Amino acid sequence: MFTRQMSAPGGKTGIMRADRKETLRYLGYRGQEIETQIMQLIEEAATELERSSTPKSIYREYECQVTPDKVKLGSLEIESKNLAVNLKGCERAVLLAATIGRAADFMIKKYSISNMAKAAVVQAAGAACIESYVDEVEAVIREDAGKRGLYLRPRFSPGYGDFALDYQKEIFQILECNKRIGVTLTEGNLMMPSKSVTAIIGLTTKERESCQMEKCSLCVKTDCEFRIHNAAAEGEKDEF
Amino acid sequence: MSFRDELGKKLLFFDGAMGTMLQERGLQSGELPEIWNVTKEDVICDIHRQYLKAGCDIVKANTFGVNPFKMKGTGYTCEQLTPKGIEIAKRAIKESGRNAYAALDIGSLGKLLEPLGDLAFEEAYEAFKPMCIAGEQAGADLCLIETMNDTYEIKAAVLAAKENTNLPIVVTMVFDEDGKLLTGADMEAAVAMLEGLKVDALGLNCGFGPDIMRKFLPRLRKVCSLPIVLNPNAGLPVVVDGKTSFHVGAEEFSGIMKEIALEGVSVMGGCCGTTPAHIQALVKECHEIPAMALTDKQRSVVSSYTHAVVLDERPKIIGERINPTGKSRFKQALRENDLEYIYKEALAQQDKGAHILDVNVGLPEIDEVQMMRDVVTGLQGITDLPLQIDTSDPVAMETAMRLYNGKPLLNSVNGKQESMDAVFPLAAKYGGMIVCLTLDENGIPDTAAGRIEIAEKIIAEAAKYGIGKKDLLIDTLTMTISTGQENASITLEALHYVRHVLGVHTTLGVSNISFGLPQRERVNTAFFTVALSQGLSAGIINPNSEAMMAAYHSYCALNGSDSQCADYIARYSGQEGQPKTVSAKTTEISLFDAVVRGLAESAYQAAKKELETQKPLEVIDGTLIPALDKVGQGFEKKTVFLPQLLMSADAAKAGFAAIKEHLQSQGTASSSKGTIVIATVKGDIHDIGKNIVKVLLENYGFDVIDLGKDVPPEKVVETAREHQVKLVGLSALMTTTVANMEETIKLLKQELPMCKVMVGGAVLTQTYADMIGADFYSKDAMGSVRYANELFQG
Repeated sequence: MFTRQMSAPGGKTGIMRADRKETLRYLGYRGQEIETQIMQLIEEAATELERSSTPKSIYREYECQVTPDKVKLGSLEIESKNLAVNLKGCERAVLLAATIGRAADFMIKKYSISNMAKAAVVQAAGAACIESYVDEVEAVIREDAGKRGLYLRPRFSPGYGDFALDYQKEIFQILECNKRIGVTLTEGNLMMPSKSVTAIIGLTTKERESCQMEKCSLCVKTDCEFRIHNAAAEGEKDEF
Repeated sequence: MSFRDELGKKLLFFDGAMGTMLQERGLQSGELPEIWNVTKEDVICDIHRQYLKAGCDIVKANTFGVNPFKMKGTGYTCEQLTPKGIEIAKRAIKESGRNAYAALDIGSLGKLLEPLGDLAFEEAYEAFKPMCIAGEQAGADLCLIETMNDTYEIKAAVLAAKENTNLPIVVTMVFDEDGKLLTGADMEAAVAMLEGLKVDALGLNCGFGPDIMRKFLPRLRKVCSLPIVLNPNAGLPVVVDGKTSFHVGAEEFSGIMKEIALEGVSVMGGCCGTTPAHIQALVKECHEIPAMALTDKQRSVVSSYTHAVVLDERPKIIGERINPTGKSRFKQALRENDLEYIYKEALAQQDKGAHILDVNVGLPEIDEVQMMRDVVTGLQGITDLPLQIDTSDPVAMETAMRLYNGKPLLNSVNGKQESMDAVFPLAAKYGGMIVCLTLDENGIPDTAAGRIEIAEKIIAEAAKYGIGKKDLLIDTLTMTISTGQENASITLEALHYVRHVLGVHTTLGVSNISFGLPQRERVNTAFFTVALSQGLSAGIINPNSEAMMAAYHSYCALNGSDSQCADYIARYSGQEGQPKTVSAKTTEISLFDAVVRGLAESAYQAAKKELETQKPLEVIDGTLIPALDKVGQGFEKKTVFLPQLLMSADAAKAGFAAIKEHLQSQGTASSSKGTIVIATVKGDIHDIGKNIVKVLLENYGFDVIDLGKDVPPEKVVETAREHQVKLVGLSALMTTTVANMEETIKLLKQELPMCKVMVGGAVLTQTYADMIGADFYSKDAMGSVRYANELFQG
């Protein structure tokens, strides 16, 4: 069994990256002509963010029991049909929390005063960073699970579908998020630093079962810029 | 013997982990261990007993996780669990017959403080306060504030313990592999703040095992004058099947701890994973080793929430620009509560190389205490430079010192008894370095000897409060040479004496020297250089003056504090020695193009040029707005994307700034299309979208009152009523906070039926917006501008 607390796999200057294409996507980029100064701005902001971020994560693996509308994960009981669908057939699951630290929030605050465009870029780059970091952590989990003949389901977070944000409180207590990785919850159960993720990842013995469910398909915001763009983006990616 | 008597004199031992022991006895992950104080009292008492038997001198009462936030919904209260925890620890000590101490154990609240988080500093203080009081009443011998990772939260806890109890205070923190707290604070910053607050001991706990912690200690010992505490884990946590375990055994643990004890430490014990076996081995190995000898490291240091600035051979720059004296634009910003203007001054000075920022926001017609509170809090959200709190109002000074996340510089005290009586007690309580002006009841002496005498008087008075020379920064006062040419030599002679004979650091407000003279910068730079060579430790100057900064960097190269001239070379190599003028290229471009292309500096210059021939309104309506419209339409048609829109907005803002300055120089106020209140609703802390809307609305000539994030409905209504606004804009990011948006709209519609509400944010849709009763749904920032324009024209 291999589950653990991590800080920045690969060291602080590790692989966590603000993928530039992803950053552009979060900025609502749709193939417009980009002036060099904007590319410079993105490069500057993303580099500064990568340099000053302090990614940390913690995860634990549990046995899980899944019924059609309920998931039991160790001592944690979650009522959520969507999560139950996601974890269907899984006997084990990983509870995960990760953050890239406070640098992004500080930079956004600072640049909101002096350079709003840069603030928006940091916001987007921060989103790209945390996704990239969680992917890294997930890769470690995948590698370990693979050795045991287990495959990973797509990660599923509180706030997706009917998986209520209220569960954040319990997840935070179980993983000791504040103590171990410095993430806190606001009154409204939002995470601070804001570029943080909690998620449940199902482990299944059956490869590719009900896998690759698009997160977008669960979201209530049907007129979302990104949803429309997501579909269109695939064709454009190579042009940039 | 009391804990204070023994601390530092002999090596003392803390106990080991409580949580680990409780998990072995069936505590479920996620269950609150402190509830066992009531439900399984004997188990807790037995664990204490085992640790006492192992030989520890201090038991940590089972109160670590007690706080009002965690108690919510558990059916228990702090007032119940904290005293109970202390009682159990005291009982175990009594039964053991040993001379041991019970520590009130205080952990993190699990909330992030403002400016990043949603917990106000004073709320954190209030949360810690009842636990401190209850702990002391129940008989605790000391207060241990542990496993902390945020200096600001530590400060709230320390003040709560200090102001409400007489308990000795020990603080231990969790540093990461870079020697930093999660907030980014380094060890030197944390030590500066805690020594300023006069805690009794400080150190490290949790996070790592003794092997890794050992590596941090030389760095800590170098800067820390207080007893050092070390409570490591039994290695790094390993979680198997949802259960945490630690793999460093008692023997290995105590072996490394012994080496550490020989290198020097004052108190040792264990954190996660350590057991009575670990502590027993530790005590056995180390009980004959003496405690580390304590020496005052004599550091003259101030700190911010990230780093310390040490006054030493390398002079420091204190940026003087946050000060309304003689600056009409700054005064206007204060009167209009335009904090953004002040923050920009801060960022500009930081960019130019200031090490510390002076903050003076006093103006007779404003509430200085409130303004100081807002500005100090705000500045700590955007700059990591230490602040110099500059006020003559002791209430404003104390307010700022309380809220300051670090050890500040205070500006100032002087030789008047009244001034010393007001300032020194504050410095003694909160910590801080203090600028001391060499003047007193009889005014400013016109001889160096007179100023030196006052300096000596101030030094002696400070000592009565336990404030040493290392925390003073003496200002021998710069007087203009235009009223007396001997003024420069009086100041410099006194300065030299103070620094080299009295051995105290010095400061000067440098630019006063040239008051009343033409081409002041020439005299200022010469005087600055001379003062530096006479022993000026920190110059209060305008860092935006390239000439002054050049003088500074040249001096550092000359006096050898810029090792191998590295900074000088990095800064000036490859630069032509030409004085910087506005190049033809930046003026060539038209205002319209500058805005469209998002070039702020060019837009500012071009706007100034257009104002030479056109009326301000013509510039706005004829150029700025059409340029913004062009970009805005492009954005809506998706030919322009967000960063481009925002760069244009910033450029337009620079253009408007030129117009504002122009109007002000003519004594007219700028016109406004109307006032709009905007806010991110209660419970929501993501406000970048709202900030983007604000910039664009301001560009289009609206006055925007920005209430920030996490704003309660009542506050929105109150502000909208007070300013009689026609339009309120609300943003929400999360599905869960849309409910608060709905509540805000409901209250607005009920109280101010004429007021329109526009909404926006990631999860909103037109349908959703209709459902919660909004008048307008804006799917992007330009939409809000369009709606506001229609509404205010109609």
